[in-house]
Amino acid sequence: MEDIDAMFSDLLGEMDLLTQSLEQGTVPSESLPTIKKEVNFSIGFTDLNESLHELEDNDLDALMADLVADLNATEEKIAAEIRGLEEPSPPPPDLPPPPKVLSTHPAPSSSSPSSRNGSSSGNVSAPTTSTTSPLPPPPSQSTKPTKEEMEAQMKTDKIKLALEKLKEAKVKKLVVKVLMNDGSSKTLMVDERQTVREVLDNLFEKTHCDCNVDWSVCETNHELQLERTFEDHENMVEPLSAWTRDSENKVLFQERKAKFEVFRNPQNFYLWKKDKKTLKDMKDKDKELLIKENFCSTSIIVPDLEGVLHLKEDGKKSWKQRLFQLRASGIYYVPKGKTKSSRDLVCFVQFDNVNVYFGKDVKNRYKAPTDFCFVLKHPQIQKESQYIKYLCCDDAWALNLWVTGIRIAKYGASLYENFKTAEKKAILSSAWTNRSTPSGSSSSTPSPTIKVKAQSQANGHASTAQSEPLAQDFGNPPPPPPPLDELLPPPPPDPVHPPKPPSLVHKPAAPQRHNHSNFPPPPLGLDNLPSPPLPQPIDDSSEPPPDFLPPPPPNTSYGSLPPPPPPVNFAPPPPPPPTSFGGIKQSLPPPPPDPQFLPPPPPNPVFTGPEAPPPPPPPPPAPSPAPLRAVGRPAGSVKKMPPAPPKRTMPALPGGDGGGGGDFMSELMRAMKKRSDQ
Amino acid sequence: MAAWDLSVTVEDLGPDAPPVTISVTSDLHTGGVIVKLVEKTQIKRDWSDHALWWDQKQRWLLRTAWTLDKYGIHADARLVFMPQHKPLKLGLPNGTTVRLRACFSNPVFQTVMGICRMFNIRHPEELSLLRPVEEKKKKKDKDLMEEIYDLTEVPLSSGTLIPFLSRPCLYNGMPAHFADSENMEAIYKMLSITQPPPAPEVISKQYRPASVVDKAHINGRWLDSSRCLMQQSIQENDRLWLRFKYYSFYDIDPKYDMVRLTQIYEQARWAILLEDVDCTEEEMMLFGALQYHISKVSQSEPQTLSSSAAMDDLESALQSLEVKMEGESSSATELLENMTAPELNDYLKIFRPKRLTLKGYKQYWFKFQDTSISYFKSKEESIGEPIQQINLRGCEVAPDVNVAAQKFLIRLLIPAPEGMNELYLRCENEQQYAEWMAGCRLASKGKTLADSSFQSEIQSIRSFLAMQKTNSGSSAAASDESINTHSLVSPRYHKKYKPKQLTPRILDAYQNVAQLSLTDALMRFLQIWQALPDFGLSYVVVRFKGSRKDEVLGIAPNRLIRIDLGVGDVVKTWRYNNMKQWNVNWDIRQMAIEFEGNVNIAFSCVTADCKIVHEFIGGYIFMSTRSHEKGDTLNEELFHKLTGGHEAL
Repeated sequence: MEDIDAMFSDLLGEMDLLTQSLEQGTVPSESLPTIKKEVNFSIGFTDLNESLHELEDNDLDALMADLVADLNATEEKIAAEIRGLEEPSPPPPDLPPPPKVLSTHPAPSSSSPSSRNGSSSGNVSAPTTSTTSPLPPPPSQSTKPTKEEMEAQMKTDKIKLALEKLKEAKVKKLVVKVLMNDGSSKTLMVDERQTVREVLDNLFEKTHCDCNVDWSVCETNHELQLERTFEDHENMVEPLSAWTRDSENKVLFQERKAKFEVFRNPQNFYLWKKDKKTLKDMKDKDKELLIKENFCSTSIIVPDLEGVLHLKEDGKKSWKQRLFQLRASGIYYVPKGKTKSSRDLVCFVQFDNVNVYFGKDVKNRYKAPTDFCFVLKHPQIQKESQYIKYLCCDDAWALNLWVTGIRIAKYGASLYENFKTAEKKAILSSAWTNRSTPSGSSSSTPSPTIKVKAQSQANGHASTAQSEPLAQDFGNPPPPPPPLDELLPPPPPDPVHPPKPPSLVHKPAAPQRHNHSNFPPPPLGLDNLPSPPLPQPIDDSSEPPPDFLPPPPPNTSYGSLPPPPPPVNFAPPPPPPPTSFGGIKQSLPPPPPDPQFLPPPPPNPVFTGPEAPPPPPPPPPAPSPAPLRAVGRPAGSVKKMPPAPPKRTMPALPGGDGGGGGDFMSELMRAMKKRSDQ
Repeated sequence: MAAWDLSVTVEDLGPDAPPVTISVTSDLHTGGVIVKLVEKTQIKRDWSDHALWWDQKQRWLLRTAWTLDKYGIHADARLVFMPQHKPLKLGLPNGTTVRLRACFSNPVFQTVMGICRMFNIRHPEELSLLRPVEEKKKKKDKDLMEEIYDLTEVPLSSGTLIPFLSRPCLYNGMPAHFADSENMEAIYKMLSITQPPPAPEVISKQYRPASVVDKAHINGRWLDSSRCLMQQSIQENDRLWLRFKYYSFYDIDPKYDMVRLTQIYEQARWAILLEDVDCTEEEMMLFGALQYHISKVSQSEPQTLSSSAAMDDLESALQSLEVKMEGESSSATELLENMTAPELNDYLKIFRPKRLTLKGYKQYWFKFQDTSISYFKSKEESIGEPIQQINLRGCEVAPDVNVAAQKFLIRLLIPAPEGMNELYLRCENEQQYAEWMAGCRLASKGKTLADSSFQSEIQSIRSFLAMQKTNSGSSAAASDESINTHSLVSPRYHKKYKPKQLTPRILDAYQNVAQLSLTDALMRFLQIWQALPDFGLSYVVVRFKGSRKDEVLGIAPNRLIRIDLGVGDVVKTWRYNNMKQWNVNWDIRQMAIEFEGNVNIAFSCVTADCKIVHEFIGGYIFMSTRSHEKGDTLNEELFHKLTGGHEAL
């Protein structure tokens, strides 16, 4: 263990050095964002060290892989930056670089081409990690801006950067061990700013679970025998930092039906006085109305709960009954001899400073009248105290009513927002898994290098950012591609991907994530891998272009293909495709590529082979050819396109080609996982 | 056809003038009658708003193409020729009175639309008119004192022809007719800015319903929306109240709804102050704090649309930030160094009640940094390790202050794994107290002294201290700070607490709302009001078919409830969405409602006409049909279909 610790600190030290060296040179804004990551890392060091002690060896291995990946990424970045410095504006010479970008984002490319145009800006913002954000500014500059404009741009970038740095300077990270249902555990790095939702998304990636809305992160307090489901919007690190040093508290990853039950069966909570049969037979229309009335108007309405509960008296083991009432402003009780009118109610507790927990085993521990107990306490209280309030209900049904009611009163609209986000997530992932499952995994699992693994995990951070965009477009499972675009900062890659599209399309959700994990470095890697990409891309491009050139003419964009890249600088490949697509078929931009791709599929398998060993290099080649082909073909064979469209739009349909690709991806993922777990 | 004499009273000739007699035939249309009348009076003026009112039948003869025969008018008919729009004294939700010209000939629903158009209140379907509660005004003729805002000169917009604009065009932020003169502008201000808190005496003098039955009586006063004012015996210059009748406020948008939002708030505020809606003591304190905040903010930021103001602020803040950053030489670390967090340092006394030893207060040198307090033996030793450092994040802060006795205590409940630690900090004077209290408050919410709200927090604490001072006699404090806390709560609490006792409690609630903008504070007030269990209930005393005692029917935006008068408990709830149909038997004045699952109820109404109950239910069903998909135009026909009596159909 100590050895490992030592290695860790060595690594961290190295990273510090690296980052410092980066800062010394005036680095273009692009590189800066990525650097930040590392900076955080080193700053969070003390915390890390603490939490590391609790880790087991295999966890450490995984973490090590992460760190190594980070290191590699940093190195690559530095290399890229240096290159960038040498070549100020990447116009024509940049052609090669674009491929790199593309390669990194193979998965994203699958997303609908149509979205690319608009998505570019979205991409930038989506990745909080910053790699993407820097990218966008440069292109615009290169295209037209005068020097002054560029300077202004640089300045604003710097300001933004500085602001970000200020914020990130204090960011702390925790290594959290999450217990799975089967008794195994996963180790996560959680940064201070992450919400539970982001952590859930991370866990979805790591566990391949079905992503349904019930998956929750829960906290147990061993000493008090309490348990609580974190709400998705809550900050993850905050409650954990209240734990005492030696605590045996745990974080669980479980399905909790009760979490969002109120949105599935609102009548059980809002009309709880009605008889069970009416509640059971409630029509969907009426349920919707209830949700609308209570969660969608100006004010969140709390179920009007009222009932006799058993209250544990302060510091004693005796319990007494009182008539309690739940209101939006708190829990009240009716004092002896008074009426139930509002003005006579006595406030028992308000929710600002307390959380609600389930109490376990209270009959034994406190001589409670029942085991249906909920507990109200300040989140920082971790041990027995007179400030903890225990309340017992007569049955599980009432307990559920009260706990849910209190959560509605405390969290209000956030609960419903959480539910909507979780629901979208679930729909999206189910659509994707459907696709991916059919495809057989024929492709050989690439031998992921340590780097790859590491990268994938490192990407974990980036992935969190993605989660948000994904959620937004849930309504349409088929459209998954668009979300991807948003997620993937580098829009350009899309065009490149055409070759791979099948796989991408099929497993939008899973692949994307996987890709990330596998090629997490993309952002970094792309930048870093200038040398390999250059040759390949050029070759690919050179070959296909000539063939296609004739067809392209029709499309204005096409004709411009060669020149366009320079203007776009970063996204040379992407820009042309979007335009060409748009030109060809406004409504069906995506389809065209698919048909064309059909031929490419064979190449894909080929790619996979090469890709596996040297993950970074292979991607570049694929992208470059793909874009070209896509462009050329669309122009040439318009008719073919129509058939393809359905595939893209409908995730389920493209089972064949995409499935294969997806399998490959998932296999890769699995392989990586295994390794990392080992 | 034989000609006969028709005598018509022309109102414009004066109350004592004899009727004008003209010679007509039965096939003369009413338009012709009017022409003859006008010729005969020989008065030159704009008669376009005038029409004939048939007194015995209580109806207007508005169809000028109909003949006298068709109307069934004979020589014995008593007709009055008068304007359709007449002045009315209108009591607004904010307690002021406005004199304006309202339409006496169209259904009240349209009259209200006209009034709302004049005031720039969107969604007039939510409002209606009711007869005021008679005031006991024997003692003093306070009416003389009452200020009446005159709007009678506002040109009449052409009736219902202009569709109600959902986004009315504004001039200088107000409808054009308010921008005409300073006078008018002042009236618009009165409408769109909240009134200052009323004096406690004013509150206690107002009529307060003491029971559900009292509340039910109010609802007997609503006018019938499908009939006109004349038909309901409303005379020129009569006094009516304009109130929000349906508690289903659709699409409130502070950008367009300043008047509407303000008036809803005023109605809600009075409902709270007069205990029209019951709430708990804690809720009352929060309402009080919000009222205090709203009155303070609306005085300081008059008239500006707060949303745009906020945007400007943000803009300028960003700008200044950029300037600052440009000034610095870019390196982030340098920036960090320059941003040293402010801190507080002083001698304070501390007391921990938990320790059994009766040591009392001990003095230490205290340092407030970030969200933590540390203390040292003395100032000189403050460089070393503190005796203790206490992080205040998530703690509870309560004041224990008596200005007169110069007692300035801060009570802290600090969470720790073992429970809550209680401790007191004793400050020497007001200034010290305000600063440290503000620091503790911010720290409890995880904010540091560097937070922008620190100064305003200090200010608000000081102004609350000032309130205590004025209440205890010294009249020195600035006038704008001196709100009597009794103005913010219902009379029940006037008896229960002295202002001095009330102040810390309201201040306590105030800390959670002090940073809200005016609009946000108004919205928060409405949200809390709407979250009250009894919100939106209009009561009527009814007698259910087959029952021998009176019971109360509560009509809410989404349901009906049956309340047992004896116990005051809700016996039964029926939701509108389960309602299949409802009927009114106008002959026996009984309402029958059928719900899904073969549930039938029938009742007669005791404290209100069954038309009023019918209109309430139909009205709420109408309100629930509004949606953005259907556009913002008001479907008047549907409203009348759902609420009209048999005459309307």
